[in-house]
Order: sequence, then structure tokens, then C-alpha cells
Amino acid sequence: MRFAPPNPLRIADRASGLNALSVRSYNERLVLSLLLQNEGISRMEIGEKTGLSAQTASVIVRSLEQEGLVSQGEAQRGRVGPPTIPLSLNPEGAYAVGVGFSRRRIDIALIDFIGTVRFHKQLPADEANPFPQSSDLLGAISQAMTSLPVEVRSRVAGIGLAVPDDVDAMAATRNGSSTSLKALQGEIEEQSKLPVFVQNDITAAAGGESMFGVAKPLNDYLFFYLGARLQSRLILNHQIYKGNSSASFDHGLVRLESELILREHPSEIIWSSSPEWPDLGEAYSAWLGECSDRLKASISALTQFVEFRTVVLSSYAPQKIAKGLCDDIGREFPGIEALPARVTISPKAVGAASLPFSSRFMIQ
Amino acid sequence: MRSVLCYGDSNTHGQIPGRGPLERYGPDERWPGVLRAQLGADWYVVEEGLSGRTTVHDDPIEGAHKNGRTYLRPCLQSHATLDLVVIMLGTNDLKIRFNKPPSEVAMGIGCLVYDIKELAPGPGGRTPEIMIVAPPPMQDDVKEWKSIFAGAPEKSRLLALEFEVLADSLELHFFDAGSVVSCSEADGFHIDAEAHRLLGTALARAVDAIGWSRSA
Repeated sequence: MRFAPPNPLRIADRASGLNALSVRSYNERLVLSLLLQNEGISRMEIGEKTGLSAQTASVIVRSLEQEGLVSQGEAQRGRVGPPTIPLSLNPEGAYAVGVGFSRRRIDIALIDFIGTVRFHKQLPADEANPFPQSSDLLGAISQAMTSLPVEVRSRVAGIGLAVPDDVDAMAATRNGSSTSLKALQGEIEEQSKLPVFVQNDITAAAGGESMFGVAKPLNDYLFFYLGARLQSRLILNHQIYKGNSSASFDHGLVRLESELILREHPSEIIWSSSPEWPDLGEAYSAWLGECSDRLKASISALTQFVEFRTVVLSSYAPQKIAKGLCDDIGREFPGIEALPARVTISPKAVGAASLPFSSRFMIQ
Repeated sequence: MRSVLCYGDSNTHGQIPGRGPLERYGPDERWPGVLRAQLGADWYVVEEGLSGRTTVHDDPIEGAHKNGRTYLRPCLQSHATLDLVVIMLGTNDLKIRFNKPPSEVAMGIGCLVYDIKELAPGPGGRTPEIMIVAPPPMQDDVKEWKSIFAGAPEKSRLLALEFEVLADSLELHFFDAGSVVSCSEADGFHIDAEAHRLLGTALARAVDAIGWSRSA
């Protein structure tokens, strides 16, 4: 070894652009995952947290820098102790497209490497045909890609689809086969030449929040998604668990809609991504009360079995609602912190878009 | 207090471009001095720059003492304990008398790294942090050194890649001096005072980037 020419395990790739899928080493994933969790960490700190030497971290960081996935901050001097140069993920280092399927709409989002939504579009959907004309969806996906400058389009890591279980089942019964999702996945792969990942929509939304949102530092938390219905996931030690019964509660926006229709109040507004709703009167307060009770009942039931200190509530509905419900929970359970999710523009699509990142760059 | 050894050749010694071997930039002007000022009171900077120093070769003309390998061991032990060793060598290996390709110069650096690891002069008998600095490429015109450095300027442009390959494979810190400075036109292979300032500043940043823990 002493007199042999160097036999590098991993030579920094001098080509710009992303390396092929297969060469991403475990250590690189480890460093990228750490940087996602801790902005502005130093090489020594990476070493302390991973057991790698600072020099090994140096080699990895160097190659990630050359690939454009990691960038160095400015030296922080003038504090006590030696100055440090923080490392962070380069937001422009990678992009991903996510598609979130819901009952009434389909969201298409393009996010950057730190989860900022760079492009967002909605397509209408209906229950009779949950997967729309694929041409519309393919068009929207390619629109998302072309929203990026030509030279960075090769940095799109892949496409994620967040699909409700029952939408697939619904499609299956109506079309007499369950091929429609598979067919759609194939068509997207064909058109984009990118890997396509599929996950349950609520699980994806929880994953997106763990990766980019308030749940980043949390090992354990209870996740609620308030969409058409109210659904939940339990996250223990970063693993996302889904109950066996597809226990989704009929206290979501569908319930609000029926309350509104009952009172002959227009209801379209609740399916848009409008940041504010007009006064929806009695129907709204009745629904909100029930929703809050349902949340509290779920939390109370679960606390008897597992310990968690945080509840995260995700919704594309106006942020005021999630904030209000979180305050309710906080009052009811003093030991539990309830946080509105940070991802508010289509949590499902952002969660879907996080799938290519976790598959290609992160440790699982 | 932490200590760093700057192990190099005439460009670490601070030799003034185009002048005689005894003419040298002042202690605060040459890059180890700039590094000392930049790193501040937490660091002790040891200067070990010898004109004509090679990586691993006895120089048949300038003398056996130019061999960077034989001097490294006593040097490391003299200055232990060392937290960091910075090595900037390679240019002198390109003299026609040694007849070495750039890859072999990198292997010479590899030998020095091997010796540092074996001697382990770091805190607690551990290996110190090691940073390989690729020297800036030579100018095409090396004046009266043309025959001594025949073919060297072209090879010198390949050193940075070879050194980085080595740094990757041996897992070392790496800095390419050519990314911040060029050699002076005066003789084509030494760096001037401004380049010393830029290099010292950039290396201080690279040392900071290692991210030393706050203890010790």
C-alpha cells in the first residue's frame, strides 16, 4: 500500500451535475442527512456526530461541494473560541417534483434541496376519475421542470407521487383493474426519464414535514393531516407508522362542506388554497368544535399507549385554523406541544417531492 | 493552544521572485506569517520552508538535505505536539534531474503522509490533521531556470488534480493554492508578497473550515 499508486475509493467527480444513482456512498448520505438536520455544522462536528474523522468528512464535503450539493458559509469570527465555517446544503443543488392526489384537486409542486416550493400548480380532480387525463398531469409536470433554467434541469432528482389508498381502490373498482396508477407512473417515467416514487399521501406529508418542517429535530411525534378528512400518523424514532384500520375521521373539510351545504352556504372556497376564508358562519364554528374534539380524543387515546411530546398539524387550509386547533390541544394537554406544520403549500405534493431526495441522497 | 507546522519549499520560506536565495520576505509578509495573524492567539504557527526541498529525493546537485522525507521525522518530533501539518511541496520534484511525472510527485507526498501517520505527533499520540496544499502552477516562462525546469511548467498544471486524488484516497484535507494565487512573472515559479497575503488568508479559512472543537 505504501508504494502503490493511490487507489481512490471515491474520487471527487470533476464533472458538474449530479453523480449517477449508484455511487452515492453511505458516508455521503450520512453527511447530507446531517446537513439537512443541522444547518451550518462544521467538519469537526460532522466527525463528532458520525464517528468519521474530520479528514474523511473533508473528503466527502469536497466531493459534495464539487457536485454543488453543499456550500460553505462565511467564516464566523469575533465570538469566543475559534471561528468556524459552517456548511449547509446548497438550495440549488437538487430539485424534485411532487404530485399530491386529493379528492378534489391534484397539486403539482417543484421544490429545491431545502424544501422551498419553487413552482406550484393545481389541477381539478373528481372522485369518478381520480387520475386525470394523463396528458394534463404530464403537461403540468413538464411545466414544473421547465420553470427551472435549462442549465439546472439535470439537477431534478426525480418525481414523487403521493396517493391516497382509497383513490387507488376507487380507481380499481371503477376501471375493473388497479393498473391505472401503475400506468400513470410508467407514463411519467417515460416522459421525464426520471425515477418515479410512490407513497401513501399522508405518510408522504408526514415525511415532508420530518425532512423540511417543524418536525426536523423530532424523533417522535403525532402527525395529523387535515384535508378532505382528518388523518393521522404516528412517528416513533423517525419511523412513520400507520394504523391498521384506515382510521381516517370524517371531521375534515368534507364535513365542513356538508355543514355548509346544509345551511345553503357556498362551499367552493374551502377546496382552494386561499390563505383566508370569508366568514363561513355557524357551519364553520360547529365543524371546528367537532374537529377539535376529535383531535383531542385521538391524542388522549394514544397517550395511554405511547409517549410523545409533540403533535404536528398539517393542512393547506388557512394557517389560522391549524394555529387555533393547536392552541386548543396545548390547553387540553399541558405536557404536549402542538405545532402547526411549516409546509403549508400543498403538504402532500411537497412530501411526495421529498421522496426522490430521501431515496437518492439521505440515509433511510 | 493549537499548533500548525507549515512544511514547504522556497514558497513557504518566502523567497522573493527573481532574486537571490538569501532574499526573503519578512516574517509578517510570507504566508505562514499571514496565517499566524489570521488564526490569532489560539494558534502557534511553525515555519519550515526550505528552498529546493523535494518530497522524497536527495538532490544530487543541491544536496541530500533537500530531501523532504529525511528531514520530516526530526522536524515533526522537534515541534510535537502538532494539531495540524500543512504540506506544500512538489515544485522542486519537477526538476529535469528527477525526471518524475506529476503522479509520482503525488506519491512522494503520500510517503510524507505515511510517515506523519506512523509517527503520530498529534495530541495524545494520535495522527494530527493533515492538509495537502497543491502548489500554484508555474508560469510557462521560467527565465534562466528553463533548462533545470525543462517540461516542468506543463507538469505543474497537473499537480493539483494528482494531489486531490491522493488527498481523496488517503482521506486528507486538501487545498489548491492555484485557486487563489499564480506564480510571479519575475521568475515564473515563486509567489510575490501579494500572493503570500492571499494564500495565507485563504489557508486560514481552510484551517477554520476544519471546524476545531472549542475545547483545548
